[in-house]
Amino acid sequence: MNRRVVPPSRPNCYPVIDTLPPRKFAGHGARVQLDGSAARALETGRTRLLAAGLVFALAFTVIGGRLIDLTLLSQNSEPKIAGGPTAPQRETGRADIVDRNGVLLATTLPTASLWANPHKVLDPYDAAVQLNTALPELSHAEILAKLTSEKGFVWLKRGLTPRQQYAINRLGVPGLQFRQEPRRYYPHASLTAHSVGFTDVDDNGLAGIEQSFDSKLRGAVKPLALSIDLRIQHVLSQALTDTMAEFKAIGAAGIVMDVRTGEIVAMTSLPDFDPNRPGDAPADARFNRASLGVYEMGSVFKIFTTAMALDGGIVTLDDRYDTSKPIRIGRFTISDFKPKNGPLSVPEILMYSSNIGTARIAMDVGALMQREFLERLGLMLPSTVELSEVGHPMMPSPWREINMLTISYGHGMAVSPIRLVSAVSAIVNGGILRPATLLRQPANTEIPGTRVISEQTSHQMRQLMRLVVTHGTGKKANADGYMVGGKTGTADKLIGGKYARDARVASFVGAFPMTEPRYAIFVMVDEPKGNASTYNYATGGWVAAPAVRRVVEQIGPLLGVAPIRTNPEDEESELLYVRASAKAEKVAAN
Amino acid sequence: MAQRQRIFFVDRLAALRNNEMSLREKIWQINWSLIVLATLISGIGIAMLYSAANGNIDPWASRQLMRFGAGILILLMVAVIDIRIWFRYAYAIYFVALALLVAVEFLGVSGMGAQRWIDLKVIQLQPSEVMKVALVLALARCFHGMALEDISRPTSLVLPIAITLAPAALVLKQPDLGTAMMLLMVAAAVFFCAGVRLWKFAVVGIAALGSIPIAWQFLREYQKQRVLTFLNPENDPLGAGYHTLQSKIALGSGGLFGKGFMQGSQSHLNFLPEKQTDFIFTMLAEEFGMIGGLILLVLYAILLTYGIAIALRARNQFGSVLAMGLTCNVFFYVFINIAMVMGLVPVVGVPLPLVSYGGTAMLTLMATIGLLISVYIHRDVRISRRGLGIEV
Repeated sequence: MNRRVVPPSRPNCYPVIDTLPPRKFAGHGARVQLDGSAARALETGRTRLLAAGLVFALAFTVIGGRLIDLTLLSQNSEPKIAGGPTAPQRETGRADIVDRNGVLLATTLPTASLWANPHKVLDPYDAAVQLNTALPELSHAEILAKLTSEKGFVWLKRGLTPRQQYAINRLGVPGLQFRQEPRRYYPHASLTAHSVGFTDVDDNGLAGIEQSFDSKLRGAVKPLALSIDLRIQHVLSQALTDTMAEFKAIGAAGIVMDVRTGEIVAMTSLPDFDPNRPGDAPADARFNRASLGVYEMGSVFKIFTTAMALDGGIVTLDDRYDTSKPIRIGRFTISDFKPKNGPLSVPEILMYSSNIGTARIAMDVGALMQREFLERLGLMLPSTVELSEVGHPMMPSPWREINMLTISYGHGMAVSPIRLVSAVSAIVNGGILRPATLLRQPANTEIPGTRVISEQTSHQMRQLMRLVVTHGTGKKANADGYMVGGKTGTADKLIGGKYARDARVASFVGAFPMTEPRYAIFVMVDEPKGNASTYNYATGGWVAAPAVRRVVEQIGPLLGVAPIRTNPEDEESELLYVRASAKAEKVAAN
Repeated sequence: MAQRQRIFFVDRLAALRNNEMSLREKIWQINWSLIVLATLISGIGIAMLYSAANGNIDPWASRQLMRFGAGILILLMVAVIDIRIWFRYAYAIYFVALALLVAVEFLGVSGMGAQRWIDLKVIQLQPSEVMKVALVLALARCFHGMALEDISRPTSLVLPIAITLAPAALVLKQPDLGTAMMLLMVAAAVFFCAGVRLWKFAVVGIAALGSIPIAWQFLREYQKQRVLTFLNPENDPLGAGYHTLQSKIALGSGGLFGKGFMQGSQSHLNFLPEKQTDFIFTMLAEEFGMIGGLILLVLYAILLTYGIAIALRARNQFGSVLAMGLTCNVFFYVFINIAMVMGLVPVVGVPLPLVSYGGTAMLTLMATIGLLISVYIHRDVRISRRGLGIEV
């Protein structure tokens, strides 16, 4: 080859390789072959270089496109808000029940239930043995009986826990099946058992709100809000449980009601039961003493007798009655538990709970007006509260004079606690009776009601009830600062048609604060036994009043009731007391 | 214009005088725009390393800057060395690199679960990076002087295949699947550019596919994990899929213009792993957005275009194959790294050339560019089969 300048545009002039094996091209001019071969090699090389370049371009297009896709088009951005774990929406078919603050009282959980097709169980005996290890609460014989039955479907256990389901699954017994079933669950167990109620395994409401709102709960999604405040419920329940234990009582009941709205803030009946296992509870525990039970309320009825006399203008606070001698009517004798000598003023009759004085007031009022007044207070009808467990009041028919006298101090007529509390609420709230309710009422709305007494009478009754607590039988209910007013009651129980002398119902009904009542409270203890600390007394003043004080002291702050610190002598009721006592002294001096 | 005319003149002159160029002439011939390009890319890298250290020159940016300075010197030295010298010592360099790879087996320093480095006190040398260049050199020498007829003879391919497989096996043993694959791909690219028939690639490809089930058994657990993770990164978002997912999130959060320099929350809050090395492109895209990423891609594209152009202009086959092999090498670096951080290929330890923190990679890439320039300067030199300039 000669040294020459090779123009780059001529590929065949790219002699790269100086020598090539000549033997391959024998017979031809080596130079020509060399040029041709080199040219072809170079041509291939150039093509392939360009192909590689094309691949580069393609690859860069791909990654460039991907870059645009990732930065601009895709939604692969960093999360702006940390997504908390959101509970999946459950399709359970029955709405929750919550208290007035939204605390869950009843809910529905999806659970597995175990059933079997006995025809498909290969070895019922062995299957029963194995199942017994996973479900020790079922006996072997019980399981075996089910597994050997002729039916094609037997329930073995419903509402399994996940742990139980896992254990049964692991057994691998053929013929056993699970069915997903919703199961009602009550996280607070017995605390609200009587108001919330319970359902059966097929989710049918059988008691309480579960029963009365059964159809509404089935369709609803939003939880049903009750008027119950779980905190108050707990305080009340605790105080009643302690009182029951202290006085070895067979039962107790209590209600806290908003006197302005009729909302039941707490309602307890003891003994209670676990609504998660209602079948295990005895009938007595499932009995709602607060709404279904009717009781002769005893002296607390004197509130109504005094109120009707004052409201009807029959008596004034200055009127006096002679209580020195028992009243004899036919074979009955009306006497006082703690007789006071001399004539007592109307406030004193209530304060010291004089049966004789109250009966004498009732004589002035008359049977017709008494009956009409009690009817107006709603005491003649079952409560309209949203429960099917409401007791019908018991009353005499015909309404004779003797009935009039005994009813004036709470015997011979039985009403349910819930009716009693509604009536007392009306007496203290300014005279308006509103229906009791277990449903939360919208805030700041006026609940319609009917006037039963004048505001003036209501004002006087508040003073009188306060007097009972400051100077009368209800001293032990006096929760410092909360201006509790009320009336004690001790009623002998009617057992077998006779009044038993050692079986009684001790109660206290009242409200606080008496300057402007917010809540009515009722506590009833069934068959308390007196003990050393009460000098063997088992009366309302010794048994129920202390429980009321404990409850009010705890729930007052929770309900936002401001304690009132006043000089006792400045209290209106104190002035009333001075007036009543002074008159008595004057009378005594005469 | 005058400059270009002058270059043209020098060019012609060089062609006339063939191989006997003075150093001054060579320096005139140096492709300075290529060096500017390398400097730009390295500058981006150093800026990102500065950002990765939360606005500190230490520990990464300063050392990368020193390496870049050293790299420039090496580049210039490599560029002016006569291509025939490279041709003559191609095998020698290859064997040195191979020896280093063997040495790494015995003297190597372990890092990140693999034995990849040799501690030379001054620098932690990663022989597998050196091998990427050495392999291309050796293959280019192999194919130099082979006519198509020779190449089509299967026996003539034995040597290049052996040259390829030896280092690939050693690297695979480290274990470094990514680099081993890259060596094989670079070799394949060289084979392709040298003119090996396409059906042979097809045969090898089919054989490779067939051997996947067998090879699978020899993969380490973490390698299997990476491949599986690549196939579905979402199935283990906190474990093996973490890198890819975080990288995609960071890329996506960058948007069009990015969050601003040193403002990349995903990188700076350490959601993004390995942000100073393999995942540096993600950080760039987070802080400078799509525009920043595309600018870097364009710079690489220009670099590769230069490589192809130099390969096309080389009149000796050694130079042409060498330039193309080196260009392919750079291409694989760029493509695999960027495709990896964008979740297009499995996570493999391939740095982004000139940008990722890493000494050996920086120096070998500067040497690569030096070799490209050397090919360019000596594009008209003729090389005998023994590697000496021959008078035509």
